[in-house]
Amino acid sequence: MKEMVTEIIAEVLRVEPQKIAPSLSIGDIPEWTSMAQMGLISALEARLGIEIPIEDLFDLTNVQALIDEVEKLKAGA
Amino acid sequence: MIGHSPILQKVWEYAASRPDKVALVWSDESVSYSQLKNRILAAAAALQSKGLNANDCLGIVAKKGLDFVYIYFGAQLIGVVNVVLDPEANEKRLEYIRSLTNPKMVIDSLEMVEGTTPNPICGLSQNDTADIVFTTGTTGVAKGVCLSHFNIFSSADNINGFIGNGPEEIEILGLPLCHSFGLGRLRCMLLKGATLVVLPSFANVKAFFAAIEKYHATGFGMVPAIWAYIRKFSGTRIAKYAPQIKYIEIGSAAMPIESKKELCELFPTTRICHHYGLTEASRAAFMEYHACVNDLRTIGKEVSGKVSIRIFNENGSEVQDGESGEICIKGNMVMKGYFNPEENVTAYFGEYFRTGDEGCRATDGNLYLLSRKKELINVGGKKVSPIEVEDAIIAQGVEDCVVVGVPDPDGILGEVPKAYILKGGTSLSFEEIKARIIGMLEPYKVPVAWEWIDTIPKTASGKKQRLQLKK
Repeated sequence: MKEMVTEIIAEVLRVEPQKIAPSLSIGDIPEWTSMAQMGLISALEARLGIEIPIEDLFDLTNVQALIDEVEKLKAGA
Repeated sequence: MIGHSPILQKVWEYAASRPDKVALVWSDESVSYSQLKNRILAAAAALQSKGLNANDCLGIVAKKGLDFVYIYFGAQLIGVVNVVLDPEANEKRLEYIRSLTNPKMVIDSLEMVEGTTPNPICGLSQNDTADIVFTTGTTGVAKGVCLSHFNIFSSADNINGFIGNGPEEIEILGLPLCHSFGLGRLRCMLLKGATLVVLPSFANVKAFFAAIEKYHATGFGMVPAIWAYIRKFSGTRIAKYAPQIKYIEIGSAAMPIESKKELCELFPTTRICHHYGLTEASRAAFMEYHACVNDLRTIGKEVSGKVSIRIFNENGSEVQDGESGEICIKGNMVMKGYFNPEENVTAYFGEYFRTGDEGCRATDGNLYLLSRKKELINVGGKKVSPIEVEDAIIAQGVEDCVVVGVPDPDGILGEVPKAYILKGGTSLSFEEIKARIIGMLEPYKVPVAWEWIDTIPKTASGKKQRLQLKK
């Protein structure tokens, strides 16, 4: 799951997957803009068949948080 | 040496009277007014050592960070003209701007030696050009707007007067510095001797809130798309900070009425000031949400007594209250003129700058904006010329097309571009066209909706009638 999420993030942000470290946060790289963040959420939902609760969005500010969220939602599905 | 720049005069004054007062914060680094003055001097010296002289153009890429501030004001100190460049601008636009202004150099950083000062420059005037800022332009050709030192000071002075903020303010700046809004906030705060905490952007809402808490922020500026983003990603958590937020400045696009009402509820004691203006005539009108709660559609009235707004018909005659016409502006912050003198020929009715916006004034003096500048597409505050996008599409061998703004289905960006492709005019699919133009345009300019069209509506003279397709 970690690899899949990382791949999606790299694709949306249009950066190499090697750049996507777990600690990478919104705004750390110029590509991770607010528009990119919205695209990221949409892409994760569409590609992984999940729906991220609105109340969770606030804390999804770095790669690890996104991975954890996806794993949580997949486990609960 | 600083008589030509009222803003620098104030920075120098604060450097003397309150040397340790924090002017700027970036990534946990605080810069006092005395440090700011010294770094502006050092930047000016560094620019001079690279051969820049008064009236030379300097391309300055507005990367977020304090280097931009030092270079920007350092250039102004020695009469060098800033050509402010968007870090996201595509190569075609950059080349166009470079070819017009012929900057001596284009930089986003500068090696400076602390403690150095420039050679004094004489003969500079407040009417000299401080900045050239390029607009999008309704014809698809970007126009260079020449703003004098007096213009940029006057704009900041007008804004501060309306908002009513003081030197005790601590503002969070998440806006980009390459556009009039963010750059204006920078000038406003330094003019007041206040403190500006600079963030990379608003993208990390959690970090934005953390900054409000950490620095005890009292204000910020945002575009409506950022409010929609903050709302989506944090709900109404921001209301927690309402008691400490004295002011919010909003602009660059219209805010939905329901959002205005909600902001009034979330920030009951905050001055929520929404401006109307253009790069050519910065923040010409303002309205405050609480004061206009019964008339939230208005764009308000003139920002100060030094600005006059009139509505003219196509012949340049003023219309009566209630009648619509072109919004035209005269004032201390209206540009010196366009960089290309030919563009000035039809830009004015007498002393009044023609905005190209349709509006009217009610009998109580409140102004209303009826339609945005012709067919410009407003994507979350960023203006997109349909002609630029159409040219990119047609460059792929598509016979003809027309691009218009349509409401963002997600309700965040206001408008998004939609392309109508002439049926039978290409063998490419929409996906193929999109893939080919992605490298030619900034991401926000790429159409998100596509449709075939049998015929493109045009006038008798062949001009595309885009407004007929706007939904």
